[in-house]
Amino acid sequence: MNSALEGKYAVTMDMYPLESSDFNRIHPFYDHLKEGRLTTTRCRDCGKKSFPPRVMCPHCMSENLEWADLPVTGTVLVVTEEEVGVPVGFETPLIHALIDLSGELSLFARIRGCKTGELKEGDQVKLTVFPVDPLPVDGKKGVVILQERVFFAFEKL
Amino acid sequence: MRNVCVIAGGQSIWGVRKATQRDIFQEAGKACFQDNPAVSNKDIDGIIVGSAYTERCSFQTHLAPLVAEYLGIQPKNLCVRVELLCATGSSGIILACAMIKSGQADVVMVVGGEKLYTPQRWEINYSELASVDHDWDSSMGLGLPPPVFAAVAKQHMKLYGTTEEQMAMVSVKNRRNGLNNPKGQFREEINLETAINAKAIVPPMKLYDCCPVTDGAAAVILAAEEKAKYLTDKPLVYIRGTAQASLHNMSANFSNWTTWESLRIAARQAYTKARVTAGDINVAQTHDCFTISEIIEYEDLGFCEKGEGGYFIQEGKSDFGGQVPVNTDGGLLSCGHPFGATGIRQGIEIMRQLRGDAVKQVEGARIGLTHNLSGFIAAHTVLIYGRDLE
Ligand SMILES: [Zn+2]
Repeated sequence: MNSALEGKYAVTMDMYPLESSDFNRIHPFYDHLKEGRLTTTRCRDCGKKSFPPRVMCPHCMSENLEWADLPVTGTVLVVTEEEVGVPVGFETPLIHALIDLSGELSLFARIRGCKTGELKEGDQVKLTVFPVDPLPVDGKKGVVILQERVFFAFEKL
Repeated sequence: MRNVCVIAGGQSIWGVRKATQRDIFQEAGKACFQDNPAVSNKDIDGIIVGSAYTERCSFQTHLAPLVAEYLGIQPKNLCVRVELLCATGSSGIILACAMIKSGQADVVMVVGGEKLYTPQRWEINYSELASVDHDWDSSMGLGLPPPVFAAVAKQHMKLYGTTEEQMAMVSVKNRRNGLNNPKGQFREEINLETAINAKAIVPPMKLYDCCPVTDGAAAVILAAEEKAKYLTDKPLVYIRGTAQASLHNMSANFSNWTTWESLRIAARQAYTKARVTAGDINVAQTHDCFTISEIIEYEDLGFCEKGEGGYFIQEGKSDFGGQVPVNTDGGLLSCGHPFGATGIRQGIEIMRQLRGDAVKQVEGARIGLTHNLSGFIAAHTVLIYGRDLE
């Protein structure tokens, strides 16, 4: 008997954001990523930057925001290497690092292209942007349009 | 405002269960009513049901009326579900307490649980990506918490000299405490050598430093003091103070990984409301999702100075006979951690400790504490229970 569940029983979950302007008001963030820029929103009224990007300033409630660039290189403060229980869609070992982006922001980010033991505290890392699962969106007359998506991580310099 | 008592509590068997979510909730409800035959499902006028993964793992929303129906409860004042991931159960207790204090309800059951193991065993590692900020942290492959707590541990070790051996002592103690807990997931003792040489999950977190994935449920009944006097023959246990605090959610906004400021705030608020200090606590159930968590909790709950958590376990101060026995029923490390049920399990253990009928009794305990952290160490929840009101 054919089963709608075969091969996908209860397991499908989209682990990436809905990035396009059809679904997301901060879609420029992802356009900037494609240009190799890591950006966030800054409030034109109170001057404060927030991360992640917003549609409203959490400090003064203003919607008068602009895009600002963040550093794309950083220094590794702490390294973790996940060897057991890595979720589907990610490599084993899955490396993360707490990285300092020139004092502007600390990110706990995935580090790609590193083997166990390779990344050390004090190492420099840089932004890397890569394609992720495209989003299947319903189009007209039963056509499914695959929307390209990207996400970011860091890699050892 | 009225005083609130916890008058009954029970839990299902926890572990990898051959049972559905609703089976497990029924087991917890039954165990709770069995704990206090003087109260029946007909006495309950409110129910708060806790579950974090009901939609993801059991495809079920609108869970409160479903659980009420299965337990033969027909609530007339309150019927709702709550969710705060790892602190879901405690959140239910806090809200039930507020509803009773304010006169919105008189006798409320708080029942929480999870059915996390699905026919696809790898699924839960993936599902937990929904637990942190989905668009920012999950997309980095965070979700299952070991990398986060490994990063916490590394920083605590560097700053304060905490050792892997001290962390292992937490799991050895909690495994020992859980040895005779008939409902817990693990009931085998481990020694220090086994703990230290166990396989790595995310170094320095090894197998026994991490709590497991668990199916299970637990239930308590809270009542206004004047009702409680008629609904139990056991000593009354009061809920004296509760608080929750959150200062950030996404990892980039977590400014200090080794001093949990929101825990310090929640603790201070709860102590103030209960009119006690950290030194008054006789027994505590804290959120030992990882061994390093329990060590930091000693510090930020005020049981010891900042940075001295490692010595606190090493010197036996959190063990029976010490300053404040912690996780006397085995904690998350032994009992397991079905998110919706954990805070309720902790409440049940404190209720038993204060009534004097715990499996492993802290002699003469009058004041108890429960604590949960949740998500990316993003919220902290603290409750203070007491045998007395002052
Ligand atoms: Zn502003």
